[in-house]
Amino acid sequence: MAEIRFEKVSKKFGTKTIIKDLDLTIEDGSFTVMIGPSGCGKTTLLRMIAGIGPQTSGKIYLDGKDISDIPPAKRNVAMVFQNYAIYPTMTVRENIEFGLKNNKVPKEERDRLVREVTESVGIDDLLERKPNTLSGGQRQRIALARAMIKKPKVFLMDEPLSNLDAKLRSGMRTELIELHKRLKTTFVYVTHDQIEAMSMASHIILMNDGEIIQSDSPRDIYNNPKNLFTAQFIGSPQMNVLKAAGNEISFCFRPEKVHMSIEASNLFYCRKGEIVTKEMLGSETLYQIRFEGQSVMVKSLDDNFQEGPIYISVDKQDILLFDIDDKIIPPHSTQHEQWLNIIGGVTYA
Amino acid sequence: MHEGVKKTRWDIIRPYVFIFPAMFFIFLFVVYPSIDLIIRSFQEWNLIAAPKWVGLENYKYNFGKREFVESIRNTAIYAVCMVGIGMTLSTLLAVWLKNNTWLNNLTRNVMFMPHVISLLSVAMVWTWIMNKDNGLLNTVLNIFGLPSLKWIDSRDTAMMSVIIVALWKALGYNTLLIHAAIQNIPSELYEAADLDNANRRSVFFKITLPMISPQLFTLLITNTIGSFKVFETIRIMTKGGPGSATQVLVYYIYKQAFQLNKIGLAAAAGVVLMAIVGVLTIVYFVVLSKKVHYQ
Repeated sequence: MAEIRFEKVSKKFGTKTIIKDLDLTIEDGSFTVMIGPSGCGKTTLLRMIAGIGPQTSGKIYLDGKDISDIPPAKRNVAMVFQNYAIYPTMTVRENIEFGLKNNKVPKEERDRLVREVTESVGIDDLLERKPNTLSGGQRQRIALARAMIKKPKVFLMDEPLSNLDAKLRSGMRTELIELHKRLKTTFVYVTHDQIEAMSMASHIILMNDGEIIQSDSPRDIYNNPKNLFTAQFIGSPQMNVLKAAGNEISFCFRPEKVHMSIEASNLFYCRKGEIVTKEMLGSETLYQIRFEGQSVMVKSLDDNFQEGPIYISVDKQDILLFDIDDKIIPPHSTQHEQWLNIIGGVTYA
Repeated sequence: MHEGVKKTRWDIIRPYVFIFPAMFFIFLFVVYPSIDLIIRSFQEWNLIAAPKWVGLENYKYNFGKREFVESIRNTAIYAVCMVGIGMTLSTLLAVWLKNNTWLNNLTRNVMFMPHVISLLSVAMVWTWIMNKDNGLLNTVLNIFGLPSLKWIDSRDTAMMSVIIVALWKALGYNTLLIHAAIQNIPSELYEAADLDNANRRSVFFKITLPMISPQLFTLLITNTIGSFKVFETIRIMTKGGPGSATQVLVYYIYKQAFQLNKIGLAAAAGVVLMAIVGVLTIVYFVVLSKKVHYQ
């Protein structure tokens, strides 16, 4: 069991309040990803769990036990830092066993554990090397091994993949997912990269300005955003947002939900526009289409369309509406229906 | 350059032309004087009559003289104290400065001042502070009911007094450099150490010290060389006395050359100084450079 619970937690830097009265529960055994724009407070939350940037007020519980005032080393958590924070003057082995040594673990036990974790992350042949002779990927593995060897209840990871190149990053993503499956411990992972969030998380916490905007499964975050911020933050390219009914309503649909055709279709929302740009991504193609003074992105598997006139259409069920406060108007509600009729029938007739 | 293309004469001499100005001045001000020093050390010369070749006589005379041997011993004591105590104090002070209280900030701002003041003034002021009759230090000692010390007027305390003054003068500069090095250590390393349950001792010896080792190594060498060349404080405060209690190598050289006009003896002592500093530097590099962590 390793459930983390924040209770009315606040954090101030000087006079500036970063997080105010935040309540949050991170489930035991989950792979929870905290995501949000820079400065949203996600790393601050992570550091509070670790105890290296304590909260200004409020309580943090681990397994129901108040850890608010417990020093970092006694919290049973391990952290992987963004720049790995590997001790540059120590060898790989010394780096990994530093914590064990400080906890007076006997030598044979240390050696056994070092062998075990380094084999599992594939750096067992690098033990006597100094970190400055190693690549980014190898350093990343040292940082992971150093965290794993403590057998913590919670793994904290602060953008651990952001310093790796694209290929290594996707490889490490898979490895982290496997690691989580194998260890079954709670992972709390901070990133600003939504692909990492969507691909690895069992649960996503989307933050902005020190507040939790939405906390849901990746699937719900993507398909059922509760507000416009979530809708626009998650998804690449961004959700198309059109202003309608005198800016009172945001009318949204995902780029991959748009159908393109040479002839007009009989789907609910069909407009005639023009392809302005075309980006081949390989498996799919991105088109920028302009119509009625607005511009939308369309993601299509078909790369045969050429620049010029085109019809785009969106099915009724793929349309999301947000009110003037950027809150979702629940699909299938009568309000949703009414607005759809106004938009579909009048504004863009 | 492509293979087969012949280098022109200009291509060959160009690099030498570029380094010529620097090499010229190094030769003029470093190489030539060093060679001249060594030559003079084999001559007897009083600045007026023609120099006379005497072979190793100057060295024999110097090493046979108690004053010279004592000056080497005193210089060594001075250097060991300056480097040992000075670097330890600076490092401890720099670590303490990492905290951020008003006292730390005040210290940070004030500590560099001794370095800015001319050594001449420092020595004069401290001569007064250490005056055995009405100096500040003795006044303070008396307030606490302690007996007065004779400071620079006693054989027993003169060297210690000079070292205290020199330490006071050098501490700020050394501390500043070490402090800057400590500030450059990424804070995540300390956070990681926190999570690794490292105690303060372990953090200092396993993280802070290795991380600042390049700066410490540089300071070790410059401080050692500087200590062996100590002169002004001695000249102002004690003139090598009482007796030869604070006689140091450079003061000995000064005395031979400019008071007794024995250039040969001074040059021979200068060569000995150069050799000591050279050997020490080599020893440092051989023994310590492997322990220094370069990024």
